[in-house]
Amino acid sequence: MAIGPETEHDAVVVGSGAGGGMAAYILAKAGLKVLMLEAGRNYDPLSETAMFNFNRNAPLGGASTPDKSFGGYYHSSIGGFSLDGEPYTVADGSKFQWYRSRMLGGRTNHWGRNSFRMGPYDFKPKARDGLGVDWPIGYKDIAPYYDRVEALIGVYGANTGLENHPDSPPGVLHDPPAPRVPELLVQAAANDLGIPCVPARRAILTRQIDERLPCFYATACGRGCNIGAAFQSTTSLLPWAQATGNLDIITNAMVYEVEVGSKGRAVGLWYIDKNDGEHKFIKARTIVLSASTGETARILLNSKNSIHPDGIANSSGQVGRNLQDTVGSMIVAQVPALENRPRYNEDGAMGIHMYMPFALYDEQKKGRLNFPRGYHTEFFGGFFEPSVGLSGIVDLIKGYGKDLKEEARRYYGSFVAFLQRGEMIPNQKCFVEIDSEVQDKFGIPVLKFHYGHSDHELNQVKHFQKTTKSIIDKMGGRIVPFPTPARLAIDDGGKVIHEVGTCRMGDDAETSVVNQYGQAWDVENLFLADGSIFTTKSHKNPTLTIMALAWRNAEHMIEKMKAGEL
Amino acid sequence: MTKTEGTRVDRRTTLKWMAAALSTAPLAGCGGAGENNSNAAAVLGRALEVEGEGYGQDPDLFEAMVPWRRTMTEAQLKLAESLADIFIPADQVSAAASVANAADFIDEWVSAPYPDQVSDRELILSGLEDIEKRARRRFKASFIDLEINEKTVLVDELTPMFGFLPAYLDTKSFFSRFRYLVVSAFYLSDEGMQDLGYLGNQPIVGPYPGPTEEALAHLQVVLDKLGLKMP
Repeated sequence: MAIGPETEHDAVVVGSGAGGGMAAYILAKAGLKVLMLEAGRNYDPLSETAMFNFNRNAPLGGASTPDKSFGGYYHSSIGGFSLDGEPYTVADGSKFQWYRSRMLGGRTNHWGRNSFRMGPYDFKPKARDGLGVDWPIGYKDIAPYYDRVEALIGVYGANTGLENHPDSPPGVLHDPPAPRVPELLVQAAANDLGIPCVPARRAILTRQIDERLPCFYATACGRGCNIGAAFQSTTSLLPWAQATGNLDIITNAMVYEVEVGSKGRAVGLWYIDKNDGEHKFIKARTIVLSASTGETARILLNSKNSIHPDGIANSSGQVGRNLQDTVGSMIVAQVPALENRPRYNEDGAMGIHMYMPFALYDEQKKGRLNFPRGYHTEFFGGFFEPSVGLSGIVDLIKGYGKDLKEEARRYYGSFVAFLQRGEMIPNQKCFVEIDSEVQDKFGIPVLKFHYGHSDHELNQVKHFQKTTKSIIDKMGGRIVPFPTPARLAIDDGGKVIHEVGTCRMGDDAETSVVNQYGQAWDVENLFLADGSIFTTKSHKNPTLTIMALAWRNAEHMIEKMKAGEL
Repeated sequence: MTKTEGTRVDRRTTLKWMAAALSTAPLAGCGGAGENNSNAAAVLGRALEVEGEGYGQDPDLFEAMVPWRRTMTEAQLKLAESLADIFIPADQVSAAASVANAADFIDEWVSAPYPDQVSDRELILSGLEDIEKRARRRFKASFIDLEINEKTVLVDELTPMFGFLPAYLDTKSFFSRFRYLVVSAFYLSDEGMQDLGYLGNQPIVGPYPGPTEEALAHLQVVLDKLGLKMP
C-alpha cells in the first residue's frame, strides 16, 4: 500500500465526463478545492483530434475493429464495448453491451450531442400511467438548471411549444442548421401524416461563445471537436475549472472503493495508480462519484465491509437495480425520390438537424396506445463520406462492373436511417451485481449484467415500425434489406449507450439510494452525479439531464459545506 | 452477345470463349485438371502467415500505422488487381479499381489479425486460387493474361445465385466479400469519392448554407410526383 497525495481538497470527484466535469466546475468556481480522479489517461483534444482525416488514411479504411469498436479508427473514444483486461459478464439469457471510455472527458469526447430536455411528464411518469416510480423532483425544480446548462454549453435547436418538450428561454438556443434534402423529404411526409418533425437540439455551437468557435460543418463529431463547437468537457468544463486554480486532476487513477469510517461518513477513496500499479488511498472531506452508471454502482458494491456486507450506501438494496437503457431500434429506407439528385455538400452539422418528437400523449392518456411512455425518432441520410463497403450500400447492389458503378451513383445519398429512441419501464430483470468469480486485470471484481425487455418495449418498437413505415411509404421508399420483427429489431441493453438508474434518487431511503440532490441516504458526505441517479430514463438522451442534475447537486453540496454541515 | 466497351473481340477470342462456354469440367475433373490445379497453387504461391498485433485501443490517430505485415504473394496481388478491375472497371466517369490500389487494400485487410478479417482471409485466398485454377482449365492461361470477356465468364460463374438471391443474403461468398473489399478501396479513394460526387469535409465559414437551388428544384419535382408539399 502506498499513500496518495496528501489532500487539502474539499471534494474528490471520480470521473471527468458530463457529471464529473460539471460537478467539478461548479465546485471549483465556488472556490472549493477539488481533486478529480479519472481512470483513463490524460487526453488533449487540441492536439489529438483527428479532424478532416479521410477514412482511407486509416488502417482497414477506418473500419470498426475489436480495438475501435464504435465509429471506426478516427473515433475519439479510447475504449468501447470491450476494454482490454477489463471484462464484464452478462447473465445467461441476458443481452447487454457495456460501453466505457478510458480517457479524460470520458464519453463527452464523442457523444452524439443530442440534448433534449426531459419534460413535466417525464419526472412524474407513474402519476400518469401507474408504472414504475416517480422522481422526487419535478420539471420546475430542474428547469433553471437546464436553462443554465444550455446557455453554458451551447445548444442548437428551436422552441416548438410541443407538449412535454419544454421550450428554452429566449435567446438561449443557437440557430439550428438548415435542413438538408433528405430531411426536407421526411419532413414533407411527416407533415402530410400530421407527425411533428422539428429542429433537433444538439450541443453544437452555431455562434461563437468565448473561445469556442461555431461549427464549420465538417468532420464527424464523434472524432471530437478541437474548435470547441461540439460540447465536450475537455474543451470546456475541465479547462475552465482548472483556470480557477481550484481543480487538480489525477489521470490513470482507477477508483475501486470508498472507505466509510465508524461514524458512517466516507473517509476516503482507494484507487489503483495505473502508472505504477500501486493501491493508493486518498482522504476526502466529500466525495462525488461520477464514474458512470455502471462504474459508480460497481464502486459502491465493491465497497464492502463488516458493517456494509452488500456495499455502502445500499441499505435500500437498490444499488445496481433499476438499470435502464433507451429502447432502440432502427429502420433503413431506400428512397427512389432521393436517387440521382444534384450533389452538394451535405455534411452539415454531422448529426441530426431535425427529429420527430413524441406527440401522442393525448392518445396514450385516452388508452388508445398499447404501450406506455414515449419515443422519438432521429433520422439521417445524405451524401456522406463513404466508409468501408460504401457505407453498407454494396451489399444492396447486384452484380459487378460498370453496372455496379452506375448503381453506386444512383444509390448514393438515397438512404434514410430512422432510429427509435424510447423510454423503457424499469423492471426486475434489469440490474447489475458483482460477479464474485471474475476480476479485472487490477484484481477488482467485475460487474455482471442482467437485462431483459417486456411487452411495453416490444409494443413500442412495433408502433415505431408501423409509424416509420407509413412515413417511408409516403416518401415512396422501401425498407432495406427487409422489415424485421420487433423482438429481433430491438437493440440489446446498453447498445444505445444511455444506461442509467443503478443508484436511483427518491424521497424515501427505503426505496432509493440517494436523495434529490444525489446525496447518499446512508453516507452524508457521499454524492453521486452521473446517470446512475436517474429514477427513470424518459426517451430523451440523458447527457443534458446528467449535467443539469450535477450542477444542482454541486450547489447543494456548496450550501451544506458553507453551512458547516458536511 | 456481350459488348464490352474498349475491347475488340477478335476471332481467336471468340473461339476461346466458345470453348469455355462448352466446357463443363468439374473442379477436379479428368484429363490434366489436377495438374492445372497444382499449377495454380504453385504460380500463386503461399501467403505468409498472419503475423502482428492489432493497433490496440489507443492508436496514434495522426501517424496511423498498420502493425501487421502484408502476407499476399506478388502473384496473388497481381491476380487480385486484375480481378478488382473486372469488378470496378474504368468507365466514362472514373478509372478502374487499380487506381485506388485495391489489391494493396485487400492485402492489408486479409493480413489483419482481427476475427472478421481472418474470416475474410480464408474466402479471399482460396477464392483467388480457385479462379486461377478455372482460368487455367478453361483458357489454358493465367487469369491475368486473359481477355476481359474471358475474365467475365469466370466472374459470372461466381454469381450463379444472383438472379434471385439478393447480395445481402450472400455476404459469406468469395464474390460478395471480394467485391466488398474492392468497392471499399475504390470509394474510399479520391477517385471514387469524386465519382460519387462527395463534396464534404470542407470547413464552411458562417451558417450552413443547406441545399443548393438546383437540389431544391429537384426536390420540388419529386415532392410534386409524390403529392407532398415542400415544408
